[in-house]
Amino acid sequence: MQTIRLKLKEEVTGRNARIPVDASLLTPDKLFGKRESEIKAVNVWWGNRKENTGELFDVSVEGEAGSAEEVKIVMDGDLSRVKHIGEGMKAGEIEANGDVDMHCGAMMAGGRITVKRNADCWAGREMRGGELVIEGDAGDNLCAMYRGEMTGMTGGKVVVGGNAGECVGQYMAGGEIQIKRNADILAGLNMKGGKITIEGNAVMPGADMTGGEITVKGKVQDMIPSFKFVETTTVEGEEYKKYLGDLAMTEKKAKGMLYVR
Amino acid sequence: MEVTDVVCPLCGCVCDDVVVEVEDNKVTKVKGACAVGKSKLMGHGRITSPAIRENGVLKDCSYDEAIKRAAEILAAARRPLMYGWSSTVCEASKVGIELAEEIGAVIDNTASVCHGPSVLAIQDVGLPSCTLGEVKNRADLVIYWGANPAAAHGNHMKRYSYISKGYFLPEGKKEKKLAVVDVRETKSAKLADVFIRIEPGKDYLVLSALRALLLGYDDVVPEEVGGVSKKDLLELVQMMKETKFGIIFFGMGVTHSRGRHNNIVNAIQVTRAAHKHTKFNIMPMRGHYNVNGFNQVCTWETGFPFSVDLSEGYAWYNPGETSSTDLLMRGECDAALFIATDPGAHFPGESIRHLSKIPVIQIDPYANPTTEFADVVIPAAISGIEAEGTVYRMDNIPLRLRKMIETEYMTDEAIMKGILKETRLLTLSRRL
Repeated sequence: MQTIRLKLKEEVTGRNARIPVDASLLTPDKLFGKRESEIKAVNVWWGNRKENTGELFDVSVEGEAGSAEEVKIVMDGDLSRVKHIGEGMKAGEIEANGDVDMHCGAMMAGGRITVKRNADCWAGREMRGGELVIEGDAGDNLCAMYRGEMTGMTGGKVVVGGNAGECVGQYMAGGEIQIKRNADILAGLNMKGGKITIEGNAVMPGADMTGGEITVKGKVQDMIPSFKFVETTTVEGEEYKKYLGDLAMTEKKAKGMLYVR
Repeated sequence: MEVTDVVCPLCGCVCDDVVVEVEDNKVTKVKGACAVGKSKLMGHGRITSPAIRENGVLKDCSYDEAIKRAAEILAAARRPLMYGWSSTVCEASKVGIELAEEIGAVIDNTASVCHGPSVLAIQDVGLPSCTLGEVKNRADLVIYWGANPAAAHGNHMKRYSYISKGYFLPEGKKEKKLAVVDVRETKSAKLADVFIRIEPGKDYLVLSALRALLLGYDDVVPEEVGGVSKKDLLELVQMMKETKFGIIFFGMGVTHSRGRHNNIVNAIQVTRAAHKHTKFNIMPMRGHYNVNGFNQVCTWETGFPFSVDLSEGYAWYNPGETSSTDLLMRGECDAALFIATDPGAHFPGESIRHLSKIPVIQIDPYANPTTEFADVVIPAAISGIEAEGTVYRMDNIPLRLRKMIETEYMTDEAIMKGILKETRLLTLSRRL
């Protein structure tokens, strides 16, 4: 096992302007095989200029890795202006000790990311595989898509310990999302496949869905008026009302399933 | 001297039939414009000189000095923002986008706090639309949703929609129907044949219900949706089915209430559902006279309409992340240029607090709250009165603004060209 520690220097975000750092090049698979001095020399974007990773982060490396799977990156410091953490990663592990900025785990295909606090918007955007655990809250557009894309998450698993923002899993086509608390409006918007479980409350879930499955264990506020009641059914010992939708997409396309209490 | 066919530089209606009298190089009379348009054409208080703030006080300087100082600020910035562009001409925007690329800025226009959600929705599901000329000549059902033209677009109903007489509707409003959907009974709602009052934040639900009804799934729709009875919704649906040519005009009431751009996606989908029965169209009630024009120029230059981040050398477009208020609320920017706009009056307090900490450049004909904290102030000629140029009406029709008055003020385009030239000298020496 190898542990790469990256601690964001205080002066990076401690100025008048809190300019984000793009961390998309700092993933286990991209840093695998690099010596400490080589990691420090990786050029990353900070605003409109590139800087050496060593200028922005305190870097230390412990142990050896035979493959990217054996690389663990531990990120510390004020990560609330570090974007694209673990973006596109295929293997290994990232542990982020703090709030992380947007696009954490976007396009990730494998490996595991643990965010110890909150994640800003677009976490797990267009995720294809692997596991993303956010111990705090997730912002808007969790596991959704880049503007204009018609497919969001297609695989992998995401667990949010707290609340999630608007449009969880928009255009989701596969994979699994579990929200331990509440989800804001339009969870599962345009959903085509996959599974979303919301243990708390949800507002207007499932709008325009054509496939996949949403389960809301708490209360649903503002149920979408174009869903068709199918039957009352029992899931894991609890009684749920099963709806089919969204009929606003025409009955032929309405193959989404929504389970509410 | 009487100038006819003057193009009004105020709102997205861009009325092009205004008559203006000019005497001694001054506008003395305006005929045919609405009250707000007339006020702008008649003119009011101006910024008299370029100025640079020193020790907290704005000190007059020359255009050259102000332009050089602006270039120094922009060339040094790591996360500059360039915002505004909706009350100036496309020619100025074109140079602005070139400058944004040169310095790796985020370039954004007022759509990001206005009809940006509509633009996002259009990218998702398209826009079955038409020109205002077609509305005038053909539309026998006009629906205003979350829009109050009687107050905000003074001539819209008279020139283009409900009150106008058209080729196929020579009797005007006698042959037309007007429906208004809003959360309160507005001035426009008082004129309507049908007024549907919905609960605030429930537009999305009502739109979904209308889609289900238009598609014939009456049985699934509950008896009341978003504060509206199913009976009233069915009545509106019946009106929509019976029309020969219908149009939905929508405004800020839908783009900035709960659901935002998804409300517009849903409204566009209502239009599509109505196509099962008749010809239906939808159009955003764009605010400033050239808010649309910037979106056009930005799209043909960068591939995206607004909120474009050029910092990493390619266009990254993600409203919510790269939109001005979000950037400022998060304290990301280290310099800002504002042209033909007034964030000081319109942006949230938190973003103004951030602006007070960073260098701000203002280009505008008029002093406004932004001037109070701007570090470089550059006065500009008024487009459509002192400068000509191309603008895009709310229905994507390009029109040419006219110049009626001679001026000593530099045009927005000339100022932007000056800043671009000076900035290039600085960025070039940095690269060497």
